[in-house]
Amino acid sequence: MACEVKGRERVGVINPIFTCQPAGAQFMSIGIKDCIGIVHGGQGCVMFVRLIFSQHFKESFELASSSVHEEGAVFGAVKRVEEGIDVMLMRYPHVKVIPIITTCSTEVIGDDVDGLVNKLNEGLLKEKYPGREVHLVPIHAPSFVGSMISGYDSAVKDVVAYFAEKGEPTGKLNVFTGWVNPGDVTALKHLLAEMEIEANVLFEIESFDSPLMPEGQHVSHGETTVEDLKETGRAAASIALNRYEGGKAAKFLEKTFNIPATIGPTPIGIRNTDTFLQTLKTITGKPIPASLVKERGIAIDALTDLTHMFFAEKKVAIYGNPDLVIALAQFCIDLEMKPMLLLLGDDNSSYATDPRILELQANVDWDMEIVTNADFWEMEDRIKNKGLELDLILGHSKGRFTAIDNKIPMVRVGFPTYDRAGMFRHPVVGYAGAIWLAEQMANALFTDMEYKGEREWSLNVW
Amino acid sequence: MPYHEFEVSKCIPERKKHAVVKGPGETLTEALPAGYLNTIPGSVSERGCAYCGAKHVIGQPMKDVIHLSHGPVGCTYDTWQTKRYLSDNDNFQLKYTFASDMKEKHVVFGAEKMLKQNILEAFKAFPDIKRMSIYQTCASALIGDDINAVAQEVMEEMPEVDIFVCNSPGFRGPSQSGGHHTICIAWMKDKVGTVEPEITSDYVINYVGEYNIQGDQEVMQDFFKRMGIQILSTFTGNGSYDDLRGMHRAHLNVLECARSSEYLCNELRVKYGIPRLDIDGFGFGPLSDSLRKVGLFFGIEERAEEIIAEETARWKPELDWYRERLMGKKVCLWPGGSKLWHWAKVIQEEMGVKVVSVYTKFGHQGDMEKGIARADEDTLAIDDPNELETLEAMYKLKPDVIFTGKRPGEYAKKIRVPYLNAHGYHNGPYKGYEGWVRFARDIYNAIYSPVHQLALVDISKDEIATDKSFTTRRMLSDARLPEGVRNAPGLRQYTGKFDVMPGLRNKTKADYPYMQDKPTKLADAA
Amino acid sequence: MDENTKSDYAKQMLTYIMKHCLWQFHSRTWDRERQNREILTKTTELLCGLEETAVPEDRLDRCYWVDAVLLARNYRRLFPWLGELDNLEITELMQLVRERLDFQTITGSLNVELTDHQY
Repeated sequence: MACEVKGRERVGVINPIFTCQPAGAQFMSIGIKDCIGIVHGGQGCVMFVRLIFSQHFKESFELASSSVHEEGAVFGAVKRVEEGIDVMLMRYPHVKVIPIITTCSTEVIGDDVDGLVNKLNEGLLKEKYPGREVHLVPIHAPSFVGSMISGYDSAVKDVVAYFAEKGEPTGKLNVFTGWVNPGDVTALKHLLAEMEIEANVLFEIESFDSPLMPEGQHVSHGETTVEDLKETGRAAASIALNRYEGGKAAKFLEKTFNIPATIGPTPIGIRNTDTFLQTLKTITGKPIPASLVKERGIAIDALTDLTHMFFAEKKVAIYGNPDLVIALAQFCIDLEMKPMLLLLGDDNSSYATDPRILELQANVDWDMEIVTNADFWEMEDRIKNKGLELDLILGHSKGRFTAIDNKIPMVRVGFPTYDRAGMFRHPVVGYAGAIWLAEQMANALFTDMEYKGEREWSLNVW
Repeated sequence: MPYHEFEVSKCIPERKKHAVVKGPGETLTEALPAGYLNTIPGSVSERGCAYCGAKHVIGQPMKDVIHLSHGPVGCTYDTWQTKRYLSDNDNFQLKYTFASDMKEKHVVFGAEKMLKQNILEAFKAFPDIKRMSIYQTCASALIGDDINAVAQEVMEEMPEVDIFVCNSPGFRGPSQSGGHHTICIAWMKDKVGTVEPEITSDYVINYVGEYNIQGDQEVMQDFFKRMGIQILSTFTGNGSYDDLRGMHRAHLNVLECARSSEYLCNELRVKYGIPRLDIDGFGFGPLSDSLRKVGLFFGIEERAEEIIAEETARWKPELDWYRERLMGKKVCLWPGGSKLWHWAKVIQEEMGVKVVSVYTKFGHQGDMEKGIARADEDTLAIDDPNELETLEAMYKLKPDVIFTGKRPGEYAKKIRVPYLNAHGYHNGPYKGYEGWVRFARDIYNAIYSPVHQLALVDISKDEIATDKSFTTRRMLSDARLPEGVRNAPGLRQYTGKFDVMPGLRNKTKADYPYMQDKPTKLADAA
Repeated sequence: MDENTKSDYAKQMLTYIMKHCLWQFHSRTWDRERQNREILTKTTELLCGLEETAVPEDRLDRCYWVDAVLLARNYRRLFPWLGELDNLEITELMQLVRERLDFQTITGSLNVELTDHQY
């Protein structure tokens, strides 16, 4: 009885957990102010990603396509990017940053976007847009490598590498949040503020939750500026909360700018949040204030009402972004639940040596499986054909049918969570996130009890 | 000159030929937007790709098929669950999607062997499904994998399965439309005529260009069954792979979405002499005439009249209730391809809503001909619209509501224009008589939403009305209606159910007295 | 029926087709030629007194015919002046409609795909 790690044995994917790299690069791109990314490839590579963003946030984000058609695929399509950048600069006068995101098609045909950037910097930008601040950032994101996770990780590193500058130290802490929600950024900024730490939060996506105003037109976009990105090179330290989403950028700054990097923890759950605060204290010297002791106390109080009465023994399956999945598993274990199955949706070879996974293997005393390079069929097949019983599923909305058809309650976490209202507004990180998660899980279990008529009377006097 | 130049597109003058304002007395011979041209890079166009047009729009609604994309996972993930085509086999094609998971090593060394393993794995995981469609993607096209050869090999080894191959990578053509074309021609070439279908009626049709969005196909199927007509196959909503292999035996092709599948009807006409009848399934008038035509074709017009009478009596009083309250409201009719002409005239005629603009994301000039012909004067028609142009148009035209896709609807929302999903509907289905009323009701609820009214108030500047604690929609919609109309006897709001599908799906043979079980035979050649 | 009246009547009839019908908008010139010819010929016959019971045997023919039947019925419903014309006048009027329709949908059409050889 232990935790085993295995890879998907099948060659093919049945119901994918992740989409491909360009989506991750595009998610990074929308977090920057005055930035419109151009995706160099077929129109679908950007149209579908804009769609999934709009499903998750119920907002529209600006992203462009180089619209590669048949001729470009045969003869090369670098000219399409050139034309596209010119068109964007003419029609969007505020745009300063244009990430050029390649896709599988343009990587296969070998379009040299790095060379193009040099050419445009010397040519078009000087001739047609003299004096205008324009940053063209090439980002390589072929879909046959990694997944949206590695696409995000690489894109964050690429954009930091492009902009980071040496100079007067700011004393700030670079905080690479990873692929999180606006609610998470709010929670993180709150913790940093309580610790009186000045941080450069990458990326400032609270504004994704954008308002409907009585006048004018509100475009949804992030608030991280070029200055913020330049400043990353002058920070006192970096912390990447998610090893697989931002770790690359932190390590780059350490190597190139001597900015000490800390990788992790993903601050989900009490223990990880404690560790996060401890890490901040170690990096910055700032004390952990009484206000956070109280906040922690409120969270623990909320959890205590739930754990041994309702959560104990509950079997849970978790899928989605790897840092999220691992941290949720850790939290669930502290809540006396039993993660039975973790699905990591791509073939990142680092999973094998991830100390958190090794820790699970060393200490878990029930049959738990971690499947790497997983698809949803790994979960569904186990439920339908191999007798896996689950009390709860934690994951994103693409897995909803497995939960619905097998009548297993599911709490939506991660990306995308479009089949529930407003999930992106809430944190899963910090003490606030611990409360939110625990209460979402409890309420999902309670609703399920009522529909199935299992001990629903017990809630009469809870 | 009625070509329309957008302020935001003055710097890309080639856009001018893509938009037209229909002038008074003007005909199609004086101005027609260009169509189906290459997209301008960086324009932030609405268009998608040819893989989407082939797989997502046409291929994947086939319900008893394993839909496998040969390429990296993204294309598959992106086209999984993102359209509302239902099926009466518990939505198998919505729930399960398959990707061959191409990786870097496959790009270098080829992936045909891996594809074959994929096919075998997929059939093994779902042993009850014996049909498969394999879709090429940009990646597998560029590395030159011969998917057809692999499929052929498997079919020889497993004679109980049949596989269709669609080679429509994302870059094949300026938009989704290229994909429609590719898959129609491929299906015609490779699959039509390879199965002899069971004929169960003297009246046999193919229902083409219908994708069962929210149940549209099942609504129409109910009408045809009530007339005793066998729908031999539907291309492709709620459609069955083997039925579609027998398309050649129908007497008539009834065509809805000409944009996506007129290619197939044209080919069927040339090769098998099957006539093509274009119909409109939307709106009481057009739908009634369409049912009449099909009935006339088979000499059973009186059966069509029965349905028309029954449905009209049941639902017209509700349609008219909304019509009275929607008169004069303005809409931007901004769908993908066909709805711009399916809806352009009948929305105004039957719901009183004035269409001030039409556009098409991926349509051809033929769609513009149909749409502009049906539209009113002063309508702004745009081909291959982009975001800045549509914002400029909305600011200028000030529509009360907009029918468009889910994502553009989000930025319409930001400028306080409520939206309805033209692709996947809000509370549909919208075809049929009841469906048309559901559409009218959705429009009414969108325009007269009290929250929408509140969105227009700036609490820092405007006078805040404190006389009311709430507003009903009727308080808003009926404010200027004459008394006789407000309480017109016989008119009422929608009285149907939340979910229309169980009512349709629970019908039995007894509900279709004209449907017979005939012995299996080939359809008459004539 | 003088030329002005004839022209005005033809305009009304053509407008009806353009607003309500789809049969004139197939995607190639040869299809449009055939559709216009067959459907308008049959409509003329029906307006000139051919009974609706004369159903064509051949199904391609029958398909034009159903569009023609509905067109003739709608014309009769919407245009009371039709009842005052004799068959010769109706035939001439429909000829004018056909000419104009052919112009708008074929010879004068700006749709560049019409002449593509493949579907």
